[in-house]
Amino acid sequence: MLRSLMFCAAWLAAQHAGAHHADEGLPALDFVAPAPGTYQLHRIMPAPDGRVLDVGGRLQRLDRFTRGKITLLGFIYTTCADPEGCPLAYRVFDSLKMRIHANPDLDGMVRFVTLSFDPARDTPTVMMRYAGSRLKQDQGLEWYFLTTRSVHDLLPLVEGFGQDVRYSVDKSSGRPKRELSHVLKVFLIDRRGDIREIYTSTFLHPQTVMNDIKTLLMERHGVMK
Amino acid sequence: MTPRNLHRASFLAAALLALFIFVASAPAFGDETCNSPYISKLIKGQEDYVYVWTLGVEGLGDGLDKLVTVDVNPKSKNFAKVIHHVSVKSRGEAHHMGFTDDRRHLWAGGLAGSEIYVFDIAADPARPKLVRTISDLARKTGYLGPHTYYALPGRMLVQALSNVKDKGGVTGMALYNNMGGFITSYAMPTEAGGDGYGYDLAVNAKKNVLLTSSFTGYTNYMRPIGELINDKEAMKRFGNTMVLWDLKAMKPQKVFNVPGAPLEIRWSLNPRDNWAVTATALTSKIWLVKQDAGGEWQAKEVATIGDPAKIPLPVDISITRDGKGLWVNTFMDGMTRYFDLSNPEAPKQTYEKQTGKQVNMISQSWDGKRVYITSSLLANWDKGGADNEQFLRGFKWDGKALAQVFEVDFTREKLGRAHHMKLGSKGLQSASRTPEEYRQLARAQ
Repeated sequence: MLRSLMFCAAWLAAQHAGAHHADEGLPALDFVAPAPGTYQLHRIMPAPDGRVLDVGGRLQRLDRFTRGKITLLGFIYTTCADPEGCPLAYRVFDSLKMRIHANPDLDGMVRFVTLSFDPARDTPTVMMRYAGSRLKQDQGLEWYFLTTRSVHDLLPLVEGFGQDVRYSVDKSSGRPKRELSHVLKVFLIDRRGDIREIYTSTFLHPQTVMNDIKTLLMERHGVMK
Repeated sequence: MTPRNLHRASFLAAALLALFIFVASAPAFGDETCNSPYISKLIKGQEDYVYVWTLGVEGLGDGLDKLVTVDVNPKSKNFAKVIHHVSVKSRGEAHHMGFTDDRRHLWAGGLAGSEIYVFDIAADPARPKLVRTISDLARKTGYLGPHTYYALPGRMLVQALSNVKDKGGVTGMALYNNMGGFITSYAMPTEAGGDGYGYDLAVNAKKNVLLTSSFTGYTNYMRPIGELINDKEAMKRFGNTMVLWDLKAMKPQKVFNVPGAPLEIRWSLNPRDNWAVTATALTSKIWLVKQDAGGEWQAKEVATIGDPAKIPLPVDISITRDGKGLWVNTFMDGMTRYFDLSNPEAPKQTYEKQTGKQVNMISQSWDGKRVYITSSLLANWDKGGADNEQFLRGFKWDGKALAQVFEVDFTREKLGRAHHMKLGSKGLQSASRTPEEYRQLARAQ
């Protein structure tokens, strides 16, 4: 019994240390996140479907990547440098990857999808380079890097997700300016393809996302508190 | 693909592909006046428009509730003029409105019913267009009188004032997605000191808390105010609470006793601050909600507004972007007061001016140099005769005095009673497409 307790304590300490290490460089949460299973994640809306390109340049339906597992999907563009934008999402995904690896119960249950806003620059080849070693399936966690063929294929997706992308209008001429803006959003999608949470930079923290993933799994197994 | 669609598709493709320079931005902890921290675009320069959600008046113009666009850019040839208005199909006590998080749509509603109107303000910010009417609030929730529209990521949290069963003040919040699809509802707490009433809501995402306040139900707010004040039993049916919620879990955590109908809630916009203020309508006080040294959230009275014995009726408040100042309008005496909030534990009034015979809403530009004021509170609470001024007035604020710059007379313009305001900008124009347009685009490939 004592050995079991000691093992549990050691395991918890390792988990904590691992989580701490994984969150390095990320701002600390300024609140205690509610425990998994103590709250509901409502179905906000179905994730939209559309045409995407994988890193091999193959045309695919997006729903192939948003059904059957819990999916964390974020829009990025590879040239983004805003520390509160794409790089933050990337750091959170990386941190989550480590947390998921530390939880054998999550093996094979979760996938990540990184989808580019920028079909002109972010070709499949560029996305493959951007992904680097992250493409390799690691301990059951799949991470897909996708782009689109054209703005025609991209727009229904950003609109369907409600991802804010806009072009500004030149006040003097009334013509669109060569500038787009977006606000960081990351989408948590359940196995059925419904969006269950939308994170902005405030709530995009490995701890809150991890709790939400666990909440969805508990819901599936009927163990909500 | 039709020539029209081909043109649109080519235009969009050209616009988007020409140069994909992105400007990523985190949600700011504030807005020009009092928007949700999740609103993605702030107007930090000169605003072009003030949208005024206006109560229809029988016999005046079309008599319907309407969204009025006033040009407020001094450099415009239409400065201080009404440049557009769009009516809804009823007169239903138009009250408040709120932007979606992407600031493409403006949701608005009336307290006499349960309809919610969604205006597209992105396609042409000067000419909002009614694109959707959400009619299932009462059926899905039992709530009546949608009041506050508060953007969450991809969603809108709507605080109602009443309920369809007894039209009293026990009510709740409804959550919709940005397309107007109902998600769920949350009842205001009636246990642990909760009175079940609702009014405003405001989020401090950093602390994972939502604050709500409380007013009264349909049977009171639709009554003539003179009659209501003399009904002692009815006057007992006003909210006396604020509730602190766990935002993530959407569960009430603590009920504060805040007597006298606490109305608008404003979190300090200073990222280093974690406190909020409210003003109580019937007791004429400013209350502070803040964590104590032990981290426990507390509410306490910190200032008096005017002479409470005269019931000046504090209505709207507007906090400056640095959290150092607070505008307070009091309806009955038409006064606009400025409080120094440098020490939120002890706000001090430093300025006052009568800005109308009756004043309700107050909004300010991001830099605080422009202040806008409207006149109407509720159709049956507005004053009568010559005191029933209905206007939008624009002022300059130099830190010492308000100087009126323009006025739009909503009665002379045959518009109605001017109520809630939101600011608009030409620069926020963006493509806004219907699902059908997308389907056509997809089919065309």
